[in-house]
Amino acid sequence: MDRRSAIRNLAFVMGSAALLPYCTPGKPTAHFTHFDVNLDQQNLVADLAETIIPKTTSPGARDLELDKFVWLMVDDCAKKDEQEAFFKGLGEFNDLVKKSYNKNFSDCTKDEKATLLNTFEKKPSQKNLTPTDEKYSKELRGFYGTVHWLTVFGYTESKYFMTREIVWELVPGRYNAYFPVKNLKAAKNG
Amino acid sequence: MANLNIDSAKERTYDAIVIGSGISGGWAAKELTDKGLKVIMLERGRDVKHIKDYPTTNMYPWEFKHKGQIPQDIQDANPVVSRCYAFREDAQHFFVKDQEHPYVQTKPFDWIRGYQVGGKSLLWARQTQRWSNFDFEGPARDGFAVDWPIRYKDIDPWYSHVEKFAGISGNKDGLAELPDGEFLPGFPLNAVEDYFSKHVKGHYKNRYVISARCAHLSKPNQIHIDQGRVQCQNRNLCQRGCPFGGYFSSNASTIPWALKSGNLTLRPYSVVESIIYDDKKGEATGVRIVDTNTKQTEEYYAKIIFVNAACLNTNLILLNSKSSRFPNGLGNDSGVLGKYVAFHNYSAHIGAEVEGFEEWATDGRNPAGGGYIPRFRNVFKQETDFLRGYACGLGAYRGYKHEGEGFGENFKAGLSSKEYGPWYVGSHMMGETIPKASNFVALDAAKKDAWGMPLLDISVDYDDNDQKMQKDYVEQLTEMFTSAGFKNIKAETNHQAPGLDIHEMGGVRMGNDPKTSMLNKWNQLHACKNVFVTDGSSMTSTSCQNPSLTYMALTARAVDNAVSELKKGNI
Ligand SMILES: Cc1cc2nc3c(=O)[nH]c(=O)nc-3n(C[C@H](O)[C@H](O)[C@H](O)COP(=O)(O)OP(=O)(O)OC[C@H]3O[C@@H](n4cnc5c(N)ncnc54)[C@H](O)[C@@H]3O)c2cc1C
Repeated sequence: MDRRSAIRNLAFVMGSAALLPYCTPGKPTAHFTHFDVNLDQQNLVADLAETIIPKTTSPGARDLELDKFVWLMVDDCAKKDEQEAFFKGLGEFNDLVKKSYNKNFSDCTKDEKATLLNTFEKKPSQKNLTPTDEKYSKELRGFYGTVHWLTVFGYTESKYFMTREIVWELVPGRYNAYFPVKNLKAAKNG
Repeated sequence: MANLNIDSAKERTYDAIVIGSGISGGWAAKELTDKGLKVIMLERGRDVKHIKDYPTTNMYPWEFKHKGQIPQDIQDANPVVSRCYAFREDAQHFFVKDQEHPYVQTKPFDWIRGYQVGGKSLLWARQTQRWSNFDFEGPARDGFAVDWPIRYKDIDPWYSHVEKFAGISGNKDGLAELPDGEFLPGFPLNAVEDYFSKHVKGHYKNRYVISARCAHLSKPNQIHIDQGRVQCQNRNLCQRGCPFGGYFSSNASTIPWALKSGNLTLRPYSVVESIIYDDKKGEATGVRIVDTNTKQTEEYYAKIIFVNAACLNTNLILLNSKSSRFPNGLGNDSGVLGKYVAFHNYSAHIGAEVEGFEEWATDGRNPAGGGYIPRFRNVFKQETDFLRGYACGLGAYRGYKHEGEGFGENFKAGLSSKEYGPWYVGSHMMGETIPKASNFVALDAAKKDAWGMPLLDISVDYDDNDQKMQKDYVEQLTEMFTSAGFKNIKAETNHQAPGLDIHEMGGVRMGNDPKTSMLNKWNQLHACKNVFVTDGSSMTSTSCQNPSLTYMALTARAVDNAVSELKKGNI
């Protein structure tokens, strides 16, 4: 299996069918094919994406419009029940932030954001443990998981990343089956 | 008025008709036009001109709206084609959508199709191995299907003939079960594949891991340059159509070649509805088509007809070609038409982690995909509780080390890391299946398509032999991976429907006896000598090698015979 199909198989690791109708409080500010989104929801996804891929000396999620990609993919490439679960999880995420810090995610400090996101991440040393399994609902974990992988997927497949960080070649013109790793700093990706 | 009709009938008369423009039809057209015949090729789909009609060929990954993924509404509407690994944003326009061309699945069958000039030759994975005498003698030795009317020696020169032109890369491995061919240089195995190859050779009798043989121009010869093709550039974006002609497709190779001769007329948008049989003449006189743009019916006439619509559509055309002489389909005196359909068993794969080999990685891309393990079960004699055996794909790979989890500055920087992660190794099975009368296709009694053709009803399934073979693959590969020291070995079986292997064969099988087969040893209908069938439908058994190279060779061989019989006045 190539990397792409692996990604495809990992797609939408989210909760099971939550057939509750989701509602969109507030005025819709963006219209998609399958749902409308309000400003709070847009901001949340954008902030979350930016927390995952922050602007450093190189562009971050906002610069690369990765939040737009997340919405596009949830709209076009997720099943209806996955979309419903996404919105349910989004709501729960907001509740969690409110409960923890009594404010919106956007208003949280960098440390507060990091503390919160860490509760969703497995520690590398605990690879097979999922400490949040009992604490968070499937939808909540699914929401974070979806935003996370779509942000990372959008980033690593962005023009910026594929031309500046790892040079993806349209025409490699070679196959070296024994490529010595000492030279690896100069290596280009296959 | 009468004259006009005669003139127009004359205009629609050729020396030969070829139905379908895929791998086998392209070869029929090339060989027939090379021999000076005036040929019309009738293709149901649109034209796809080499390079010009490859809209995605030079697109970068980020230029695809969904970065390659197929939107959910398309998947929901087309579940069958969505299961094909190559049905992605970059090549979806070369696949038939389920909705556009329905069929009946009495038993689940994933029928993967490409309706356009070039057929599936644009999309295929280009794996090309010769079949051996163990394959052609298989049914007779093991007592299934019917005896092949040919042996390896009959097809050997024709393999050479098509290999030289198509361009097949590979190594001379000297294995009786996988005969060598006219190879361009093979693509090498990487460090882990090479290690495994040496390990297997040292620890197992008659088991080999070789470089996969594939239809790529690793080093083109003059004959390839003459086709307008150049060296494969290792893009591995083949399914989009290759601007270099680096791999073999009808579009890059046989069709432009045949067109250059001036002897080929290519007529896209032409669904062949049936073959016209003339009771008085006792032969086929031509074909009836429906023009998909005008919906008008037209007839084309020729002395010989090559049927190359791909296995199941060829069955459909013959079943639908009814006359008073052949009420059950053209050439179907025996009643075997549509029966003994078989496929390849792709129902298991295995993966593992590999420790070590840190000093090596790969650079660039390998169009062959890695290694290939020829069949090692029941080759020289029957030795298991199932018939026949399986070949295995084998590939090892290693990418940059990336932490999948995390967020923030360090996580982001880590994504750009060029430090290599561990090696992984994987394999998938490709098993032979046994043709049976109970695996068949038939015309649906009531349902018709947009052109008035009956829908095809498919009843094909796995059997006990396939289950045993799957189990054996998992056991053997697990053992081989274990003994090689691979770690965290995970074998998986799947329940993919037949068809997703895209190697469906049979229904119009070859054989010596007209009572039990449709075609003779020249791929000629026993009962209608000017009709030739040289695609997968003609196969008596399936081997476990990829089949398309054999369709090519059988086609070239059949054309050679047909034209010489034509010249002798025998047809
Ligand atoms: C993703 C993929 C991977 C594959 N990998 C391999 C591989 O590695 N090795 C291998 O050997 N094979 C492989 N195959 C299979 C290979 O593509 C086929 O075996 C081969 O293309 C068959 O050639 P064909 O001429 O019989 O049919 P096609 O190439 O399918 O051509 C048939 C043509 O006939 C036309 N047609 C159908 N019905 C009619 C009609 N009624 N009237 C007029 N025209 C009609 C179709 O539109 C089509 O253009 C793969 C296929 C796919 C899709």
